[in-house]
Amino acid sequence: MQVYLPIAEMSVDALLLLGIGFGVGWLSGLFGVGGGFLLTPLLILIGIPSAVAVGSGANQTLGASVSGLIAQWRRGNVDVRMGSVLLVGGFVGSFAGVQLFAFLRRAGQVDLAVAIFYVVVLGTVGALMVRESVGAILRRKGSRPARLHEHFWIHGLPLKMRFRKSRLYISVIPPLLVGFFIGLLSAVMGVGGGFMLVPAMIYLLGMPTSIVIGTSLFQVVFVTANVTFLQAVQIGSVDIVLTMLLLAGGVAGAQFGAAMGGKLRGEETRALLGVLVLAVAGALLWDLLRVPGELFVIGPAP
Amino acid sequence: MTHPQPHTVAWRGALAAIGLLASLGVARAQPAPVPPPPLAAELAERRIEVTTAFTGGEILVFGATERLIGERGDEIVVLATGPLTSMVVREKIQVLGFWINGPTARFNRIPAYWALAGTRAVEEMLAADERGEQRLGLDLIPLPQLGARGPQFRDALRELKQRDGLWVDQAAPVEVSGGRLFHARLPVPSTVTTGTYRVQVMLVRAGRVAARQELQLDVVRVGTAAQIADVARNQPMLYGLACVVLAALAGWLGSVLFRRS
Repeated sequence: MQVYLPIAEMSVDALLLLGIGFGVGWLSGLFGVGGGFLLTPLLILIGIPSAVAVGSGANQTLGASVSGLIAQWRRGNVDVRMGSVLLVGGFVGSFAGVQLFAFLRRAGQVDLAVAIFYVVVLGTVGALMVRESVGAILRRKGSRPARLHEHFWIHGLPLKMRFRKSRLYISVIPPLLVGFFIGLLSAVMGVGGGFMLVPAMIYLLGMPTSIVIGTSLFQVVFVTANVTFLQAVQIGSVDIVLTMLLLAGGVAGAQFGAAMGGKLRGEETRALLGVLVLAVAGALLWDLLRVPGELFVIGPAP
Repeated sequence: MTHPQPHTVAWRGALAAIGLLASLGVARAQPAPVPPPPLAAELAERRIEVTTAFTGGEILVFGATERLIGERGDEIVVLATGPLTSMVVREKIQVLGFWINGPTARFNRIPAYWALAGTRAVEEMLAADERGEQRLGLDLIPLPQLGARGPQFRDALRELKQRDGLWVDQAAPVEVSGGRLFHARLPVPSTVTTGTYRVQVMLVRAGRVAARQELQLDVVRVGTAAQIADVARNQPMLYGLACVVLAALAGWLGSVLFRRS
């Protein structure tokens, strides 16, 4: 069943979009991440223009994260104070990211920039995840306990603030920077950034794991809302029909994934997710390195 | 698929219309001998509607000539052109092992859609100078090039536009039935640009264009697709807010519906 996407200005098989949404939703439910980092490359792969894939990917991540945020909020797992500090950085970062995106579009390098961002970020994160989880699996066998909370240079910065729920008294500079960086990535890559935010909150800021998910969802929902708005206004690349089809599949898939996710052990899940992230990065890198089938591309003049 | 039905209906209507035209012509010819026009043409549809279910369509041109159509008699050429747009052509180059977009050529005021059809190959039908004057050929579309130089950009533009189905160079001939009736189907892909399209029907005699008729049709977005695109273009703030709210609502609603507790 073909459906015409009004902003992408092309027809795509609606069942294919529902299927992609379901698959990505299933994986995101299984691993407890937003799944935007899988969705945007898949959309580009089926021929959706990069700009529309990024804009609509951010919009779909917003929808996919809302119910999670509501659930976490009800359980009191959101540190609103920490979330707000992250969000200030996130808003500035996503604004800067959309400006960067607009500049790259004028220069005709959006496709390249999106691909490079994905290769670098996913390659790094995937490698770290695999290393960390394999280390944890090996440690479990050797039963050597890891240290719970470490003090390092980050705790010496000024502008300290008390985050009661996170049981932290730290400078606002690290969370602002983390928020800024995630916001920038969100705008350029069309992701929520949860897969980077969660480790950053645990290892960099030292937040307790119980409230990390809720607080990261808080940041993801509002930053992707900001990215959606700015992309729609400045680039004009958010396709609501595309978003809705992906969400319809995604929300259903996420429930099945989450049901299965409970049966997997933490370290194994993280190792699997790391491998998956590395595979996406590898596919995109291969796409940049291989000789293109077509040596010329045409597009509308900016 | 209900796709061919409207066209069949339109085509039957078209034949009926021609019959009516012809009988009118005969009826009027008797009292005052006015010479009949050498060429009469019409479009089956004056509007192509792009809906959310649009997967492409066609421009159906039909008509009749006064004399018989054939290699030594009259011949027909149909040229359809869409609104003018600007396109960029980018050449991919290898930098440090990566393939990136390199030199860029810009083409302003080129037809978004272009389609040519003739009763036989237009190159054989028309004298070279006449063909050049009427710009009847893919190689004769004016392509003013800015930015990067070199003929390879023009060639790439022509090739890629053809591959997208937006420039159609005599993919199918103009069909002739009954010696004097002709019709041509010009395919329109789903990626077509909206706007006003010009269709020129030309009568060729002895290598020259002897008569021509110009017709117009509109390609318009209708229904939900049109409304969405309009709001997105004219009120981007409202559209952006709507996208945020709708996605949030859909996500929330979906999780309620699909909850497996």
